[in-house]
Amino acid sequence: MSVVIKSNKYGITLVLDRDTPFAELLTQIGEKFKASARFFKGAQMVLAFEGRVLNQDEQMQVLHVIEENSGPEILCVMEQDALKESFMRAALEERKAGQASSDGRFYKGTLRSGQVLESETSIIILGDVNPGATVVSKGNVVILGSLKGTVQAGAAGNDSAFVAALDMAPMQIRIADCIARSGDGRKAKASTEPMVAYTEDGNIYMEPLTKEAINDIRI
Amino acid sequence: MSEVIVITSGKGGVGKTTTTANVGTGLAKLGQKVVMIDTDIGLRNLDVVMGLENRIVYNLVDVVEGNCRIKQALIKDKRYQNLYLLPSAQTRDKTAVSPEQMIKLIEELREEFDYILLDCPAGIEQGFKNAIAAADRALIVTTPEVSAIRDADRIIGLLEANEIRRSNLIVNRIRMDMVESGNMMSMDDVVEILAIDLIGAVPDDESIVISTNQGEPCVGDSSLAGQAYMNICHRVMGEEVPFLDLKTKTSFFGKLKKLFG
Repeated sequence: MSVVIKSNKYGITLVLDRDTPFAELLTQIGEKFKASARFFKGAQMVLAFEGRVLNQDEQMQVLHVIEENSGPEILCVMEQDALKESFMRAALEERKAGQASSDGRFYKGTLRSGQVLESETSIIILGDVNPGATVVSKGNVVILGSLKGTVQAGAAGNDSAFVAALDMAPMQIRIADCIARSGDGRKAKASTEPMVAYTEDGNIYMEPLTKEAINDIRI
Repeated sequence: MSEVIVITSGKGGVGKTTTTANVGTGLAKLGQKVVMIDTDIGLRNLDVVMGLENRIVYNLVDVVEGNCRIKQALIKDKRYQNLYLLPSAQTRDKTAVSPEQMIKLIEELREEFDYILLDCPAGIEQGFKNAIAAADRALIVTTPEVSAIRDADRIIGLLEANEIRRSNLIVNRIRMDMVESGNMMSMDDVVEILAIDLIGAVPDDESIVISTNQGEPCVGDSSLAGQAYMNICHRVMGEEVPFLDLKTKTSFFGKLKKLFG
């Protein structure tokens, strides 16, 4: 076997034999992907090479062959150097997470029971979030109104995400993998000062939105 | 032995959800293992009446669609260990679930629970069909008003057409003073029209409003409504319990009025 397809966390790795002529490798790659065309159809993945160093031109040829045989859609080719690879991966993920919490958009209006607002980035809501309504964001959530419903911040796993509201009386707050619910006692009139919720050691904490609290927020 | 009971009415606002919460809690109080299922997808209320809204993570639709296991969606009551709630989804509508899926779900729950109570939505559309699909028997809630009785009659017919023959009647929101003055139908009048067995009569009681708003069912407490609901639970379990005397004690002033009136 001079061509082996292996899966990795982000897509597939092509293990290529060092000694087989390149032209022969290409045909074999073509056959492999043709045989599993149905399996790969419509998939989007990252391609990596192993066992052989390919130059730019050869890589393009391989991509072309994969495409021709209705294989997966290759988003990018991963560097072969493992160290470099993990570094790039980390950079990519950091960038993704950073983007979610530092970019933002606005929403104006009251979210009512049964409505769900989802956002890839942070979100600022000019209005109330009523009981039964849900806000889901991969970044932070800021509510310029009262929060009485459910909010999920850092939905992609960013545990430095925060939730802030002018009137904080949430049903539930979820940040990354943490979840906190409101107490069962009869609702005392919640203090009307603005509050911020964040995670620390797997717990969700809420505190008044003071200067110190703002200083502690990481974006 | 496990029994699946649907609580239905046809008309909205007659007390299905309140009845479900109170009968469910009452049966749990009597030591039964109970699960209440809110089938009103899109307009869920039972969780609010039970005071369990803040615990919802997964719901009925998540279970049916396979996003989670049943155990993950069941919410244990904060008062009784043997009482569970399966909340409905708020962000979906009735078409998210089919009668076949309900039957499959309830078959699984039958193994674990003594009583499965289904809180039915108002109306006779998909939500109603989902709720009654797996039911063994029905509790039909009505108030002593012509419109509610008309709808209850229609519901009884639909249940019979769906092979659910064990239907019992709960007459809710009775005001004895109005019955006595002849301005409201009595339980007997309602039973005569609908011709099914009465399993309970619940007075119009302030304590219901208070307990509903607090998320604490009033079943079993000293209020007249609380006693009436407890009696219903006993009768659901097959015990013979005499009906409560709902007559309000006439005040001294009332007696005087009667004397001179």
